[in-house]
Amino acid sequence: MRQEKPYSFRLRPQHPTGGKRRLSSKLRSIQVTITLTFTSVAVLVAVVVSLMLYNKFAKTAEENANMNMQQIIEQVNYNLELYVKGMRNIFETAEDQITNSPSVDSALLMERMAMLMGSREDLVSAAVFTPQGKYVVGTAGQKLRSNTQLETQSWFTTAKRTSEISYSAPHIQNLFKGQYIWVVSISKLIQYQENGVLKTGILLMDFNFRTIDELSKQVKLGKRGYAYILDQLGNIVYHPQQQLIYAGLKYENVEPVLEYAYRSYLDESTGEKRFITVRTLEQTGWKIVGVAYYDEIVTTKRDLNNFLSWFLAVVILCVIIVSVFLSARIARPIRKLERTLQQVGEGDLNTRIDVSGAYEVEQLSKRFNLMLQRIRQLMDQIIYEQETKRKGELEVLQSQINPHFLYNTLNSVIRLAERGKTEEVVTMIQSLSKFFRISLSKGNNMITVQEELDHIRHYLVIQSFRFKNKFRYEIIAQDEVVQCQTIKLILQPIVENALYHGIEMMPDEGFISIQAELKDNLVIIRISDNGLGMSKETMKVILTGGSKSMSGSGVGVRNVNERIELYYGREYGLSFESEIEEGTTVTLIFPALAKGEGNEGLKEDETSS
Amino acid sequence: MKTFRFWLTLLMCAVLWTTVTSCFNSAPNYINTNKTRNIHLIVKMNRGDYWNTVKLGAEAAAQEFNVKLTFKAPDSESDITEQVKMVQDSIKEKADVIILAASSYMGLAQVVDQAAYSKIPVISVDAEVGSARVRTYIGSNGYEAGQKSAERLIKLLKGYGEVGIINFTNSTQSEKLESSNGIEYGARDAEEREKGFLNYTARYPNIQVVEISYTTSSIKDAEDLTQLMLLKHPNLRGIASLNETASQGAAMAIQSRGLQNIKMVAFDSSPSMMELLQDGTVQATVIQNPFSNGYLAVKHAVEVIEGIDVPERVDTGTKLIDLDNMLWPENQKLLFPFVR
Repeated sequence: MRQEKPYSFRLRPQHPTGGKRRLSSKLRSIQVTITLTFTSVAVLVAVVVSLMLYNKFAKTAEENANMNMQQIIEQVNYNLELYVKGMRNIFETAEDQITNSPSVDSALLMERMAMLMGSREDLVSAAVFTPQGKYVVGTAGQKLRSNTQLETQSWFTTAKRTSEISYSAPHIQNLFKGQYIWVVSISKLIQYQENGVLKTGILLMDFNFRTIDELSKQVKLGKRGYAYILDQLGNIVYHPQQQLIYAGLKYENVEPVLEYAYRSYLDESTGEKRFITVRTLEQTGWKIVGVAYYDEIVTTKRDLNNFLSWFLAVVILCVIIVSVFLSARIARPIRKLERTLQQVGEGDLNTRIDVSGAYEVEQLSKRFNLMLQRIRQLMDQIIYEQETKRKGELEVLQSQINPHFLYNTLNSVIRLAERGKTEEVVTMIQSLSKFFRISLSKGNNMITVQEELDHIRHYLVIQSFRFKNKFRYEIIAQDEVVQCQTIKLILQPIVENALYHGIEMMPDEGFISIQAELKDNLVIIRISDNGLGMSKETMKVILTGGSKSMSGSGVGVRNVNERIELYYGREYGLSFESEIEEGTTVTLIFPALAKGEGNEGLKEDETSS
Repeated sequence: MKTFRFWLTLLMCAVLWTTVTSCFNSAPNYINTNKTRNIHLIVKMNRGDYWNTVKLGAEAAAQEFNVKLTFKAPDSESDITEQVKMVQDSIKEKADVIILAASSYMGLAQVVDQAAYSKIPVISVDAEVGSARVRTYIGSNGYEAGQKSAERLIKLLKGYGEVGIINFTNSTQSEKLESSNGIEYGARDAEEREKGFLNYTARYPNIQVVEISYTTSSIKDAEDLTQLMLLKHPNLRGIASLNETASQGAAMAIQSRGLQNIKMVAFDSSPSMMELLQDGTVQATVIQNPFSNGYLAVKHAVEVIEGIDVPERVDTGTKLIDLDNMLWPENQKLLFPFVR
């Protein structure tokens, strides 16, 4: 910030120029600041709150979905368990009947077996084989194919190995004529009687996938989710897209499934997030695997997403609108004030500021009005002072070459010369020349007290010739005071006054005393006479104008007073003490300035006016 | 400085906004199944287990990807005009994609170009078509399949003897006529298989391919042709049939005549063929992956609609199945569709 001169008033302050600064000043405006602050705080809060809400809800939703899925799979597991138990029951019933039947090919057994077969839709075939792979007996109407290779089939080999009931992986039933169908085989080594002889054989029962399919089809895990069944070895027993998997077009990541009997986990092997839930059937060791697509089971999450994003958008919009409105309300009076002030700044001091709004703004405008008023007053005062000063200076200038004074003095010189008083003539001319020299003093307004006193001495010398030694005078100055600065020609009008108004009309001899001293850093010059004195009324008007001596050198006492006041301040100036018939004492008081100080102030004054 | 701070603030706001919104709307990157696509599957024939399995695969994919599948096929594999008409209908119906198993390599080329002109992508399945506008081919390598068949038959015959081929194509008459003109009017897969077979047998001087018969796509016709061939060539030791109907017909001829000494390598895996394989009437069969063909064709069709790049050619492979390996678990899965 540039230091501005205290009393210089710039009429047109420079406007900040350039788009950059204008934009930035716009950005720094109260409205923008309030809007941005308010918006960002509100948005931040809204975002944080909604994120927290989202996380909380999403977690709950996920947990619920997961739980729900586990329940569904549990249900399927239960149903399948029941189903497998049913298969087992049938198998055991059949085994019982065959073992207890006296002969394996008895008509009664055949009938019972036929009944058993008829009771279940999913039971495809039942048959007994010898451990060597020879067909013993089976459901009626079945014709064995050739080249069945049954000895190598898994149901046959496992049954031979253990005495437990074994469940095979899905395979093609190729034993009997008719369609090739996919079945699960249950087989066990059993005892049977043939022609009264107890023999060992393998009982085989084939179940198709109808019931398993129906049970698994009910599983709804979202739109794309599904359930599938694995056997202990990882063969797929059932899969909704079984053919695709068989054809190698689809792939199911079964390895992590096989490791656990009871498990829920998140799988990302296909590139998509999927919830996998594994349960194991007790009897068969089959695993039921529920697959749910993460993005589907968490639909709540997506709904929440949508809701929250809408909510956020609306909230942000509302916040922006509200904050813009609010900030506009706050900023409008301030802006108005600013605009008015700009007008003032452009020089229109008569602008009336009348802004309503917030209390502070109103107060501000009121105070500002007061300030403006004061500025106006000060301006008027300055204008007046400047004018007066100029006038005073003009008068001083005029007094420097006062023709009347010159004429009188030269008349006196002529008279002296006529009388042949050469010595006096020389003194007079010398004094006159010095008087004028100091009067002019190279155009400077400031001179030293010494010079001023010299000036008045010369004046008194000249006047004493004119008044024919009607008065005496003395000039006493302290040594400290003589080097101080003073505005010039301040003594002469006072002395002139004393001579013309105080002493001239006096019958006795007059006496003028001029004393200069320095007291408390103030120059005090006292001019006393023992002349006629002044009335109180005269004293009153003498400084305010009204009576002006036209006979003097032209520079009035008032002029002196005003000049002192203008240069040094109102507290300085002239003071009078007067008593009728006793005399008058005029005291000049002004601050003592060393050489240089006063000059500077003067120069500035000149440049500014 | 101030402006800089302003822009920084703005940037921060933008970053914050994107972070917040990106947390909320993370789009899943699987194939979008919200909109239904119209895909037309036009195959050679509306009968036969092979085409049924293709259809099954296509339907599985259609269900998965929310596709409205329109299945069309002429009554006979040789009915090229009918198939051309069906493709034209599909173009008129503004199908999103046409999946085509062309009965004739050149016969359908023009209509495929026409479809491409109407901005309908065409995918060929099983049999290629003579158009450069086809987006992708899904099917097996016919030449390789033919070689596999020949290799096994020669092994069965211990390297010598007369061999007959029952192949399929629209008609023997037109085939001969057109081939003299240098234009291929047969089905591409049939030709490839035959070429593969013949090229392989050419290495064995003791193997003579005495006759190649071309059946229209009926079992009866194939059976008659086989009977005729057996009559004409009493010393015939082996028969190779190169598609499902031809195989069924030829096997029936052999079965009905009770000929145990004639070795036969069939094609495709219809349930009846499996039975014949288990009987021992047929010693081996070359199988393809019709289910995969159908499934992948529809899947790639959806990908084409979605603008995802699809491979130019998908070989779903062939496999030789005989009595020994037909019950291997992995082969069971290929041979018998898992029908519930």
